[in-house]
Amino acid sequence: MTEEERDNDLGNLFRNKLEENEMVAGSDLTGRFMRRLERKEFLRFNPARFNVFYLAAAAAGLAVAGLLLFSPPRNSDGTAEDQTPQTEMTVIAYDTNDTVLRQKDTVTTKVTERKTASGTVKAETAPGGVTDRPAAIIIPAEETGSEIRVNGSGQADESVALASSPIAVIEASVTYGCVPLHVRFTGPANEGLRAEWTFGDGGSSSVNNPDYIYDLPGKYEVTLTVTDNRGRMSTATTMIEAWPRPAASFEISKNDQLSDDDKVTFINLSAGAVQFLWDFGDGTFSTLSDPSYRYSQAGRYDVTLVAYSESGCQDSLTINDVFSDKGSFIRFPNAFMPNTGGPTGGYYSQRSDMDNQVFHPVVSGVAAYNLKIYSKAGLMVFESSDPEMGWDGYYKGQICNPGVYVWKVRGSFRNGQQIVMAGDVILLNY
Amino acid sequence: MTEQNIIEGCIRHNRKAQQILWKQYSGYLLGVCMRYATDRPEAEDMLQEAFLRIYFNLAEYSGTGSFKGWLRKVTVNTAITYFHKNLRHKHHTDIDDYVNAETGSRGFEEDFYTAEDLYRVLNELSPGYRMVFNLYTIEGYKHQEIAEMLGIDVNTSKSQYSRARAILRKKLEELAKLKGIYT
Repeated sequence: MTEEERDNDLGNLFRNKLEENEMVAGSDLTGRFMRRLERKEFLRFNPARFNVFYLAAAAAGLAVAGLLLFSPPRNSDGTAEDQTPQTEMTVIAYDTNDTVLRQKDTVTTKVTERKTASGTVKAETAPGGVTDRPAAIIIPAEETGSEIRVNGSGQADESVALASSPIAVIEASVTYGCVPLHVRFTGPANEGLRAEWTFGDGGSSSVNNPDYIYDLPGKYEVTLTVTDNRGRMSTATTMIEAWPRPAASFEISKNDQLSDDDKVTFINLSAGAVQFLWDFGDGTFSTLSDPSYRYSQAGRYDVTLVAYSESGCQDSLTINDVFSDKGSFIRFPNAFMPNTGGPTGGYYSQRSDMDNQVFHPVVSGVAAYNLKIYSKAGLMVFESSDPEMGWDGYYKGQICNPGVYVWKVRGSFRNGQQIVMAGDVILLNY
Repeated sequence: MTEQNIIEGCIRHNRKAQQILWKQYSGYLLGVCMRYATDRPEAEDMLQEAFLRIYFNLAEYSGTGSFKGWLRKVTVNTAITYFHKNLRHKHHTDIDDYVNAETGSRGFEEDFYTAEDLYRVLNELSPGYRMVFNLYTIEGYKHQEIAEMLGIDVNTSKSQYSRARAILRKKLEELAKLKGIYT
């Protein structure tokens, strides 16, 4: 039976047996699936399945809408500002010596801070006076317990440095790169400011200058909220992009059908990579995806594959000593039956010697080789230095007598290991 | 209900029609999933994913070509998605699996192996080999098409197919020996 026939046979076996094969999906699986389907469908709105759940959801929605309608009226300027002192301020500078707030004509800046529903804080600066406000606002000063005066001008006062609102600025050592991506963030320099970081992947920190490592690829929004000791806040955001790293992986083909014996085919199993660099360990390189390579010398080679992704991220894999013992063997049959039609020359290949007419070893990883075969009388009937050249059972053009012959082989594997083997083989009756 | 009725029912998300479709095809499609999975639980998971896809995309079935074929195609695509999702963790093959995969000389008696035997040897293959073998041998895709579907090189597809074959052959022969002893 030829190689192709056997392949077809194998394919047919699987096709015929499995292509139309039916299994039994148990009632347990059916139940699990139906529940899963129900959950999935519930989440997708579908008018055909309008049921009590949707009705309840709709009722809840109406209730919420009603509550909103009767909520407290909005401010005259139209923005929904909070009425608490920390969140609504007309503050430019403080003068701690005074206990009464004094109105100035040149109010140019209004800082409005309000909490949004999600808990983040936005700082807005809008020009314009605050004419509809009282002339003076009394704001408690946390440190002294006394009241402080708000001075309407932004630059006139001597205590500007102390009093200016905090401004959050994010500095990142890198804003993109391959995972694991290590980013050094720099926040407020002033020790008196409190920093709150969220890193966009669920992580957070309250250190002023945190170090953070992103393990998973993705785009992350980093938020820094700076709060001073009066509770005034400022936020800043920045994007960090962590790219996926490819996974370098390869195998060495030992399949004779793919390559002749000395040539090694490297099979690339890398994921997420578009470019490759192979180091064959003997100073030779390749950029092919699946290169084949013939080593000129036996020895120990460490092969390295570097895989590069589209964004330039890389990963490497080194297999040490690719021709270790596992891949090196030599095996001899113990019988053969020569072709009676005449000497065949002894050359064989997997396809040409299906009838076992040539005595030859099965080898892998062999570098040097010398086979000698002797008759019982001690006569050397065959010698070969090529593992692909076996004995056809003839000596000087004459077919040899059936019986036992002794063989001896010397040589070495590519990994440098010596081969010294001996055995016997039966030449079968023809 | 005719097939047309069932399909229309499923498009309308009619529970009854969905149940009938499941009843009719879950066995067959589980058989397909079993070829692509590492074990039964994985196959069942895959089957559920496939059916969800089928229910939500049924409107895309044009009505031309066999309905069963369409179901199978969706299922195979689900298996490919599943494979991609899990690729990272299962990318290696035991080197023993193929270094020692010597080829025997005889063919395979069909009656000798049960479907369960064949599922078992397939399940033992590494996911990449199994994928290529299934798509090439049973689904009948060309190596070029497989390479595109899986995002691999054509040569990788070819060599993985060749080695999958060698491993399967070896495993079947081992199984035959075992069976020879015990039967």
